Amino acid sequence: MSNIDILTIIFFVAIGTYTLRVSGLLLSNRLKKFKNIDIFLDSIPATLLISLIVPSIIKTGLIGIIASLITILIMYKVKNVLLAMSTAVFIVALYRNGLLF
Amino acid sequence: MKNELKNGFMANLPISISVFTYGAVLGIICTSKGISFLQLALMNIFIFAGSAQFLIVDMLSSPVNISVVVWSALLINLRYFLIGASLNEFFTNTSLKKRLFIMHFVTDESWAVTMSKNKKQGVSVFFLLGGGFCIFIVWFLGTLSGYYFGEFISNPKLYGLDFAFLALFTAIITSMYKTKNDLIIYLITAIIAVLLEKLLANMSYIIFSAFIGSFLYVYLNKRQNDE
Repeated sequence: MSNIDILTIIFFVAIGTYTLRVSGLLLSNRLKKFKNIDIFLDSIPATLLISLIVPSIIKTGLIGIIASLITILIMYKVKNVLLAMSTAVFIVALYRNGLLF
Repeated sequence: MKNELKNGFMANLPISISVFTYGAVLGIICTSKGISFLQLALMNIFIFAGSAQFLIVDMLSSPVNISVVVWSALLINLRYFLIGASLNEFFTNTSLKKRLFIMHFVTDESWAVTMSKNKKQGVSVFFLLGGGFCIFIVWFLGTLSGYYFGEFISNPKLYGLDFAFLALFTAIITSMYKTKNDLIIYLITAIIAVLLEKLLANMSYIIFSAFIGSFLYVYLNKRQNDE
């Protein structure tokens, strides 16, 4: 693996990623002709984030699932992102240090 | 505009803790893979997408198959197309030059924060940009500290820091929840994502399950509107 190889990869991924970022925005007006596209795009944030994280949470094991459920509960009751996030991290840390069960 | 930039920057600070950690882990991995800091910095500046950078570094081997690495990385980043499309309403009065500049700084984190904030009170495109700047700087600093001071953070997993990113997004998704239909779609999408992740050899499951979930969402809500 040479430096040229790495730089080639960086170059193409950079160009491709930028193209994806910009084209989504620039083509969105043309997407409008599709029926219900607004409902579709409205739901994208949630479905995309769920697809991104749920498999990883499951892979973390039972403690990951428990910590996520507690995160949801705190967010639902208190609506504080920082509190919800740090509680989850704290629980996972306790567990991994053998302090939980 | 200045205020919005600052608000966006500040709103992303809580998340930046996990971005910093995530970056530090990448920095540590880069040293073990023999990647120079300059190469890491080029990735941070020009690619600026955490999961794709992880994947690239992870896939580097000798001999390396360049096209496989590039296509896999772009496959994960395909979600930026959807993210870009969902941002249309923020850019209605923005010049092309600004669009081309601002879009480079859009990340999962700053986008998610902007979208959830926008549901409560309207925010402008500068809020999005401020968030992007925050993540950009923190990401860079995170990879830098991992690269040069990695040995001090011997095991980030022991502190549960790898979970911060997942917990954060879980919290953000919860804040997006509105109706019972949402819950149905969220659960179905989650199940599809878990299944597809096992069936597909690459990261394309992220795109596919988001698509299926959103199509079902359209179907459910359209039917309700018709009734």
